[in-house]
Amino acid sequence: MTQTVSNRPAGLFWRKDNPEKRKKRSEALTAYIFLLPYLFIFFTFTIFSIGYAFYLSFTRYNLLRPPEWWGLEGYRRVLCLEALMPRGEDAPPLACDDLFIKKALPNTVKYTLIVVPTQTVLSLILAFAMDQKLRFRRLFRTIYYLPSVTSSVVISLIFVWLFSPLGIVNQIFNLNINWLNDPRYAFYTIMILNVFTTSGTLMLIFLAGLQDIPTAIYEAASIDGANKFQTLRFITIPMLRPVVFFVVTVGLIGCFQVFDQIYVMTSGGPLDSTTTVAYLIYKWAFRDTTVKMGQAAALSFILALIILVFTLIQRRIIEGSGSVGSA
Amino acid sequence: MKTLLKWFVPLMVLSLLLAACQPAATPTPEKVIETVTVEKEKEVVKTVEVEKPAERAVVRLSGWAASPEETALLQSILLDFTVENPDIVVKYEPITGDYWQQLKTSIASGVEPDVFYMDIFQFPAFVRDEVLLPIDDLMAKEGVKRDDFIPSLIDAFSEGGVTYGIPKDFNTLGLFYNKDLFAKAGIAEPTDDWTWDDLKAAAEALSDPANNIYGLGVPADPGRFPIFVFQNGGSIMTEDYSDTLLDSPAAVEAATFYTDFRKNQIGAIPADVGEGWQGTVFGKGQFAMVYEGGWLIPYLKQQFPNTNYGVVTPPAGPKGEGNLIFTVAYVISRNSKNPEAAMRVINYLTSEKAQNKVLESGFALPTRLSLQNSEFLKTNPASSAIFRGALQGARPFVWGLVGSDVNEQMGKALERIYLENQAVDASLKQAAQVIRQKIAEVK
Repeated sequence: MTQTVSNRPAGLFWRKDNPEKRKKRSEALTAYIFLLPYLFIFFTFTIFSIGYAFYLSFTRYNLLRPPEWWGLEGYRRVLCLEALMPRGEDAPPLACDDLFIKKALPNTVKYTLIVVPTQTVLSLILAFAMDQKLRFRRLFRTIYYLPSVTSSVVISLIFVWLFSPLGIVNQIFNLNINWLNDPRYAFYTIMILNVFTTSGTLMLIFLAGLQDIPTAIYEAASIDGANKFQTLRFITIPMLRPVVFFVVTVGLIGCFQVFDQIYVMTSGGPLDSTTTVAYLIYKWAFRDTTVKMGQAAALSFILALIILVFTLIQRRIIEGSGSVGSA
Repeated sequence: MKTLLKWFVPLMVLSLLLAACQPAATPTPEKVIETVTVEKEKEVVKTVEVEKPAERAVVRLSGWAASPEETALLQSILLDFTVENPDIVVKYEPITGDYWQQLKTSIASGVEPDVFYMDIFQFPAFVRDEVLLPIDDLMAKEGVKRDDFIPSLIDAFSEGGVTYGIPKDFNTLGLFYNKDLFAKAGIAEPTDDWTWDDLKAAAEALSDPANNIYGLGVPADPGRFPIFVFQNGGSIMTEDYSDTLLDSPAAVEAATFYTDFRKNQIGAIPADVGEGWQGTVFGKGQFAMVYEGGWLIPYLKQQFPNTNYGVVTPPAGPKGEGNLIFTVAYVISRNSKNPEAAMRVINYLTSEKAQNKVLESGFALPTRLSLQNSEFLKTNPASSAIFRGALQGARPFVWGLVGSDVNEQMGKALERIYLENQAVDASLKQAAQVIRQKIAEVK
C-alpha cells in the first residue's frame, strides 16, 4: 500500500544510492513504524500468549507450582475416551475428566446447531422487513439493534428476571416453568437470549448485503417475468451468499465460544445442563481448587480445532453450488 | 512537508500507543492498579516526613474487599499500627473481583503480597504446594500463643503440627427463625436444645404451600447440608481426605432426612419461590426457618429491617451436635522478604483490641477465646448463637485438595434428588464415584 510510484522498470543493478530504491525503503520503514505499536501488542498479547498456552497444554500446572512436563496426558484427560467404553459397577475410578466429552461438547454442538440457523433465518427475515418502505423503519432498526449494543452481562441479568418463576414470561404465557433452574429448560433460555442479542447485528449485516445488490438485476428479472418469490429464490438469496457465509461463520465462532451469559446466569448448572466448552475451560483454569491450567489449555486448542473444522465444513456447504467471491 | 512528516510520525506512533493501551486493560485490574499507585504516593509522602527510607520494612497486605465499610475499618486499624510501629510500612492492596484467580496468578508470577487472606476451603492446596510460610517460630518471637485462639480455628490452619495461619474471623451456621410465623402457627420458638424431631414437627406446623410459605429452607447447597451428616455421626471425607464418605449409610440417612422436607412440602429450595438465596426468602417471610451464618444479620438489618427473628444453634441429630466453621486466616508468603514485620502486622490485626473493633462493627466474629465474654456478645444474642456454634462439635468447611469438586458433586447430588427425582442412595453413590475419580486425578 506504500508503493505508489514504482511502475518504472528498476535498474539492472541494485545500487546503494539508487533514489528509487531508497525511497521505497524509506516508505517501507515508515510503514513499519506505523505498524510498530500494533505489532508490539500483537506479538506480546496474541502470538506470545498462544505460544505459551500451547506449551502449557503439554504440562501439569496449577499456578502455585511451576509447570511440569506432561506430554499428551492433558489431552488424554480432556478427551477421556475411556469414559465412553462400557465399565463395570465397581471399576476403579478413571483418572480423567469426562465433563468435556459427556456434557460440554454435546451441549455446545447442540447450542450451535440450534442457535446459528435460528439467528440467521430470523435476522434475514428482519432484514427483508427493514428493507421494505415501512413507516418508522428507522425506529424499528434502532430498536432491533439495541440489544446488540447493550452489555451482555446487563442483558443476562434482565433475562434472569424475565425468566424467574414469578417473572413476566411465566405471567404472560400463564406457565409455571422454573426456566433457569430446570435442567430441561435452562439451556433453551440461554439460547433465546443469544438469538435475541445477536439478531440485531446480523440483521444490519444482511441489510447492507441486500442494499448492495444492483437494482439492474431485479429489473432484468422483472422483464423476464419473474414473480416476487422467484426473485427472492433465484436473485436475492444467491446474491447474498457471501453475506450468509460471513454471518454463519461469525455465528458459529460466537456460539462455540459462548461464555458470559452462562457465567452470569447459570454458572454451568443446573446439573451441567448449560456447561459449554468455553465455560469448562474457565472452570478448570480458575474455579476448581485443583487448578488445571494445563488441561484447560489443552481444551482451548481442541476447541480451536473444532471451530476450524466446522468453519471449513460450512464453507464447503455454502460454496457448494456456484462460486462465491471472498467473503 | 518533509519536516512536518518528521514530527508527525512519532506523534502518531505515540498517540497510537496511548490509544492502543486502553482496550487491553480490563476494568477490574485497572482498579487494583489505581489503588496501588495511590498507596505508593502515600508512601512517598511518608518517607519524606521520616527521612529514613532505607530502614523501613515494607509489608504488602492483600485480601478481598467485602464492603467499603469493612475496608475503611481495616484501614483505620492499619493506621493505628503505623503510628505504633513507625519502622514498618504496610501497603494495603485489596483485590476486587475474583480473589483466588488474581492471587493465584500473582503467585505464579512471583509477585504475591507478603500477607494475604486464606480461606480454610483453599488452604490444603496452598500448604501442599509450599506457598505458605510455617509461622511457629515467628509466633514465638512475637509472643503469639496458639492457646489464645479458639482451638477448632487455629487447628484448622495447622497441618502436621505446623501452624500456617492466624485465624482472622469465622462464621458458623445458626438456625434463624421467624418469630412472627411461629406466633401465627401457635408453636413454641426453637431453643438450643432442639432435635431433628422438633425441627420436623415445627416445619410441618409452619408450612402453608398454597401461600408459598415453607417451614425450612433446604437448598442444594454444600455449605448447609453437611451439618446434617455430622449430626448423624457421619462425615463428608475421611480424616486424611483420601476418600469420600458421601455414600456411607450415615450420609445417605442424613440426605434422606434433609430432602424429605421438600418432598413432603414442609421445606423448599430458594428457586421454588424464584430466589437465588434463602436469606432473601427468609427476609420476605416465605421460609420460617433457615440455616445461615452471621452474614445474614447485617443483610436483614439492611434489606428487611422489620423481620422479627431469633437465632439458635442448629438442632442436634441422632448422634449429637454438628456444625460447619467458615473461617479465614492471615498467612505469610514463603517469598516474603520481611516475615518478621509481616508477623507483627498479623499479630496487631488479630489482637484483642483490633478484634474488638471488628466485632463491634458487626462484620465478623473474633477468633480469640478471651472475647467470648465480651459485652457485645452478651447484648447481641444472634451473634452470640453463631459464636457458640464454634464450640459445639463444629468442623471446618474443608474437604481437602479436591474441595471444589466435592462441593460441586454434593450440590449436584441434591439437585438430582430434587429436580430429577433420583433415589437418594443412587445419587450420593454417583457423586462419591465422581469425587473418587477427582482424587485419582490429583495423585
